[in-house]
Amino acid sequence: MYIFLIGIIIMAYSMVTAKRMMSLIASFRIQSVFLFLATLFMAMKEKSPELYIVAGLLLLLKVILIPNFLSNIVKKLKMNEGIGMFLNPLVSLLIAVFLTYLSYMFTTRIIAFKAEAQVISFAVSLSVTMIGLFIMIFRMKALSQVIGFLVMENGLFLAASALAGGMPFFVEIAIFMDVFVSVIIFGMFIYKINKLFTHIDVSKLNTLRR
Amino acid sequence: MNIFCILIVPVVLAVLPAVIKRPKTLGVLNAVGYLLVLLGFSWFILKATLPVSFFKLFYIDSLSAFFIFTISIVTFATALFSIDYIERDVTSLLISRNRARAYYTLFNLFSLSMFLVPMATNLAMVWVAIEMTTLTSAFLVGFYNTKASVEAAWKYIIICSVGIIFALFGTIIFYYAASNVGVKSLNWLDMVSAGKGMDKNLIKIAFLFILVGYGTKAGLAPMHTWLPDAHSQAISPISALLSGVLLKIAIYAILRFAVITNKCVGVEFSSKLFVMFGLVSLGISAGFIIIQKHMKRLLAYHSIEHMGIISLGLGFGGVIGAYGALFHVLNHAVTKSLMFFGAANIIKKYKKDNMNMIKGVISSMPFTGVMFILGMFSLIGMPPFSIFFSELLILMAGFGKGLYLASGLYLFFIVIIFGAVLYHFSNVLFGCKPIDMAVEKECTSVKITFVFLFILMTALGIAMPGFLNRILMSSIAILQGV
Repeated sequence: MYIFLIGIIIMAYSMVTAKRMMSLIASFRIQSVFLFLATLFMAMKEKSPELYIVAGLLLLLKVILIPNFLSNIVKKLKMNEGIGMFLNPLVSLLIAVFLTYLSYMFTTRIIAFKAEAQVISFAVSLSVTMIGLFIMIFRMKALSQVIGFLVMENGLFLAASALAGGMPFFVEIAIFMDVFVSVIIFGMFIYKINKLFTHIDVSKLNTLRR
Repeated sequence: MNIFCILIVPVVLAVLPAVIKRPKTLGVLNAVGYLLVLLGFSWFILKATLPVSFFKLFYIDSLSAFFIFTISIVTFATALFSIDYIERDVTSLLISRNRARAYYTLFNLFSLSMFLVPMATNLAMVWVAIEMTTLTSAFLVGFYNTKASVEAAWKYIIICSVGIIFALFGTIIFYYAASNVGVKSLNWLDMVSAGKGMDKNLIKIAFLFILVGYGTKAGLAPMHTWLPDAHSQAISPISALLSGVLLKIAIYAILRFAVITNKCVGVEFSSKLFVMFGLVSLGISAGFIIIQKHMKRLLAYHSIEHMGIISLGLGFGGVIGAYGALFHVLNHAVTKSLMFFGAANIIKKYKKDNMNMIKGVISSMPFTGVMFILGMFSLIGMPPFSIFFSELLILMAGFGKGLYLASGLYLFFIVIIFGAVLYHFSNVLFGCKPIDMAVEKECTSVKITFVFLFILMTALGIAMPGFLNRILMSSIAILQGV
C-alpha cells in the first residue's frame, strides 16, 4: 500500500516542478495510475465488487479520458511552450515539501488516528490536496488551473478511501460524473478564452478590476 | 406526490427549446411553468404535514420547504421578466435566436439543480447538486461571450470549484466521524442522531472546511472575490437568480452541517464563526459600496452585505436571531431580484453601466424609476418594508445576547451602506434625463413582475402570513435540534 502512496506524492512533486504542459499532464496521468492501483489493491483485499467498479471508473476517466482530453486541448491550441510560473521550480518544490510537513503535523497533532496506516494516508491525501491548490494559485495558464483542480480531487478521493474506506457507492459514482462534466466544461471555457483573448494566460485576465 | 412536479417542470421546459423555435413562445411557457411550480408548492406547504420523504432520496422538512418556497418565488419572477428581456435582446440583434433558445435550456437546468439542493437527503447529493448549480450557471455568466463576461465566468467556475472541493473534504470528515460511532451513512437524519457521540475535534475541523467551502459559494468575505464579477457580468435576469437564491442555497447547506456540529460541540463554536464571517463581510462590502461606480457591481457588493447580515443573525442565534436570519433570506431574495430587474431595464435603456453617466431615470422611465426608488428604500432597510423588520430582529438578538461590540459594528456598517447606496442611486434617479431620450413604456409582463415583487416585499413588512410563520418557527426548531 505504501508504495502507491509514495508514487502519488512523488507525482505531486513532479507536477510542482514541471515546466511544460505535456509533462504536467503526463505526471497527472501517472498519479492517477497509482491511485487506480491503490484502489484495485483495496478491492482485492476486501473482495468488494463495488470497489472494482470504482477502480474501473477511475482507470477510464482519470487515466484515459481526462488526460487525453487535456492533451488534445494542448495540441489544438499549440501551447506546449511553458506553463508560466510565478515561482520557479526549486522554490515551488520547497513549498510543496513544507506543505507535506504541515499536513503531517496537522494529522498527527489534531486528528487522533489510531492506526499508523491511516495517519500516513490521510497526511498524503491532505498534502496532495494542498499541492493541487498551490498549482492552481501559482501557475498562470488556465489549463494548469484545471490540472490543479484535478490534483485536489485526487487528494480528496484518497482521503475518502483512507478515512472511511470510500464513500457510499452511488455517491462515488455521482462525484466521478460531476468531475468529468466539470472538466469538459472547463475545456469549453478554455477554448472560449483562447478565442477571445488569443492566449490562456490567467494572470493577464484583468479586464475586471474592482 | 405533487412535489415531483417541481422537478418535472424544469426538465420539460429544458427540453422544450429543441421543439419550439420562437423565443417569445418559449418565454411565456417558461413563465407559466414556474407559476405552476409556485402555486403547486404553496398549496403543498399549506396542505401537507411536514416532513415528507420519498424513496429515501428526497426529504422535505420545514427548513427545505422554506428554501424551496424562496426559490420558486424568484424563479417565477425571473421567468416572467426574461420574456421581454430576451425578446428585446433578440430584436436588437445582441443575441441570435439560437442563443435565446440556449438561454431557456440553461435557465431551466440551473433552476432544476437549485431545486434539487434542499430536497436531497444525502449530504453528498447536496454537494453534487451545488456543484451542478455552478456548472450550469457558468454558461449564463459568460452568456454574451464578451471578454469581460468570459473572464468573470472563468473566475466564478474556478474559485467556486476550489471552494466546493473544500466542502467535500469537510463532508468526508463528517462521514468519517459518523462512521466512527457506527453510522455508516451520509443521510442527514442519521448523522444528526449520531451527532452527540462524534469526536469533537474532528467535527470542529470538518465544520471549518464546510464553512470555508460553501461560504465561498455563499459569497461570505473574504472568499467573495468571484461574486462581484459574476453577478455584474451575468445576463441580468440571471443576476437576480444568482444573488437572490443561489447564495442562499449555499447557506442552506451550511445550516444542515451546523445542526450536526451544534449537536456535537455546542452552539458556541459555530456562532462565533458565523459572527466573525458576518462582520468581515459587512465591513468589506461597506468599503466597496462607497467607492463603487457600476450599478450592477454595487448591487453585487450589496449582496455580500446581506449575506453577512444573515450570517450574523445565525451567529447571534436564539429564536429571534434565527428567525431574523431566515426571514431575511426571503426578504433579500425578493427585494434584490426587484433591484436587479430595475437595473437591467435602466442599463438597457441608457446602454451603459457607469452610474456617473446615468441621470434622470425617474423622468425617462417613470415606472421602473419609481419601483427602483421603492426597492432601494426597502434594500437599505427602511420601514415599512420587510427587510427593516428582519434586520431589526437580528439587532435585537445581538443586544439580547449582550454582544454589544458585534451589534454596534453591525449597526455602524449598515448606516454607512445606507448613506452610500442612497447617495449613489439618488444621483442616478434624479436630475435631467438626456434631451434626446424618449420616455420608456415598459411592457405588461415586466410591470407584472415588478408589482408582484413589490407587493411581496411590502406585504411581508406589514403582516406575516400564518403559514410562513409556522414554517419559520418549525425551521428554527430544526435548527436548534429539537
